[in-house]
Amino acid sequence: MNLAEFTWGLPPREKLESYRIWDSYFTPSLGHPGKDGFSGIIDDMERARRAVELGRFEKLCFFPHVGIGTTTDADFETLVRMKPELVLKPIEHWPDRMLGMIQINANDTQASLDALDQWLRDGPMLGVYFAGSGPGALPCSHPNIPPLVERISELKGVIMQHTWFVTGGNPGQGMSTPTELAELASRFPDQMFICAHAGGEWEKGIRAVSDSPNVLIETSGFDATAGFIEMAVRELGPERIIFGSHLPTRSLGTELSKVTTAEIGEDAKQKILGENYRRLLGMA
Amino acid sequence: MLRGQMAEAADDAGNFEGIIDSNVSLFHWPFRRLPLDKTEKLVAKLRSLGVTKALAGSFEGVFHRDLASANARLADECARYPELTPIGSVSPSLPGWERDLDRCASKWRMPGIRLHPSQQGYALDSTLFSRLLARAAEAGVFVQLAVTLEDVRTQPALVVKPDVDLAPLADAMAKAPAAKVQLLNLRPRGSELKSLATIPNLYFDTARADGTDGVASLLAVAGPERVVFGSHAPFLIPEAALIRVHESALDPNSLRTLLRGNAEGLLS
Repeated sequence: MNLAEFTWGLPPREKLESYRIWDSYFTPSLGHPGKDGFSGIIDDMERARRAVELGRFEKLCFFPHVGIGTTTDADFETLVRMKPELVLKPIEHWPDRMLGMIQINANDTQASLDALDQWLRDGPMLGVYFAGSGPGALPCSHPNIPPLVERISELKGVIMQHTWFVTGGNPGQGMSTPTELAELASRFPDQMFICAHAGGEWEKGIRAVSDSPNVLIETSGFDATAGFIEMAVRELGPERIIFGSHLPTRSLGTELSKVTTAEIGEDAKQKILGENYRRLLGMA
Repeated sequence: MLRGQMAEAADDAGNFEGIIDSNVSLFHWPFRRLPLDKTEKLVAKLRSLGVTKALAGSFEGVFHRDLASANARLADECARYPELTPIGSVSPSLPGWERDLDRCASKWRMPGIRLHPSQQGYALDSTLFSRLLARAAEAGVFVQLAVTLEDVRTQPALVVKPDVDLAPLADAMAKAPAAKVQLLNLRPRGSELKSLATIPNLYFDTARADGTDGVASLLAVAGPERVVFGSHAPFLIPEAALIRVHESALDPNSLRTLLRGNAEGLLS
């Protein structure tokens, strides 16, 4: 056996670079950034460094807490309100790679609206993340959500909505389904939404959003079940699929292989791995 | 680079003979068509990834009750491909399971059998399970126990099955101390993994050891001599498991034992 011929499942480095991979779902220390406001995120970024470099990622988008009650740690919430510059530490750590979208507290709309002005209107954040669990999470069918969406639309922000169809086990409070997201999206036809995790149970998730042209699906968060991307491309078209890594709690292997090994054209892979996301962010 | 890692592993080992994948399945998954569910295509993919041997169970062995027929088809199919080693299915919930086990061991010369307790309706504290372990050890075959086939959250509503409760496994294996058991598709988690790692003759696979450092963490807790490469292809994308090994930046010795050596130990 000629070991020099081994590829080990990764495309060649040059091919990966040609994809210009932008990761829409980078989750270092997603639930809590660390007592000091940032070191947990930095540690997890370093934990993911090897995967990020192996995958030749150009950009990664993380979801910071900005002191509006999206964690259960009152000390942290106070700290980051007093020192908002802490939110930017991860961007400073990898200044050429990192993008951000703030976590929204759907249970506190006024604080969230204020945070939208502070972080989207005034920059540098590009959108918002609606979580599926934690103190800031509500199903996206909740009446608190539309006023937030209206303001996000005014600011031309991108919305990443965590979604799952949970067939077994216990769905958490605050969880949204792709069906609920499709309903919300129908009320805001000019706003683009990203359906994170394609609903997990992706065969249902893809069906739920297929008639919603302003909803794109994100690819991470579930095992590398074969056939996902093929169905998504067939039903939605490659323009409505966005790559996410969920690193470091998921892996490069699980998440990148969904796209790179799919039986779809190279043009479609190019779109999914970066082009679509850049277009959505207005950074194409 | 992994290529570099592999070269080192090969140098250490002399002539590296390729990867052994301990966890593949043949035929059709009943709830969706899989891109690699034709054996010829699956084998071609495995070859392209450097897999020279794969321990192959059968999806029929999960869902059929005439397991003798399912195992016969599996043996016939594997005979067409030198890379495939058949691993028949046995269910102690079925009358006459001893005959299935004996056929696997004697008629088809299978080195191991595969169990699916969740789908086939028995718990690990049943007397039948420990009897099966003892009989497998007597027959000289190892036992692969599928903890799950799919994340419970994404299973088809028709067959939502929780992961196998592994709490009784230590007691069951204590009653059959010569049995060798490999857990397939376990999502390794904290205290449960630490507890399982204390059980003698228990092995693990890598199919659902997720997280960028998931494989390295599994080796650290379970011990590098007890983790066997397994992909759960074609249900899962085989490259996913291989890239995860790459990500974990293992030392050459661990890499060699993970990808081949530990499986050879299981097969010996």
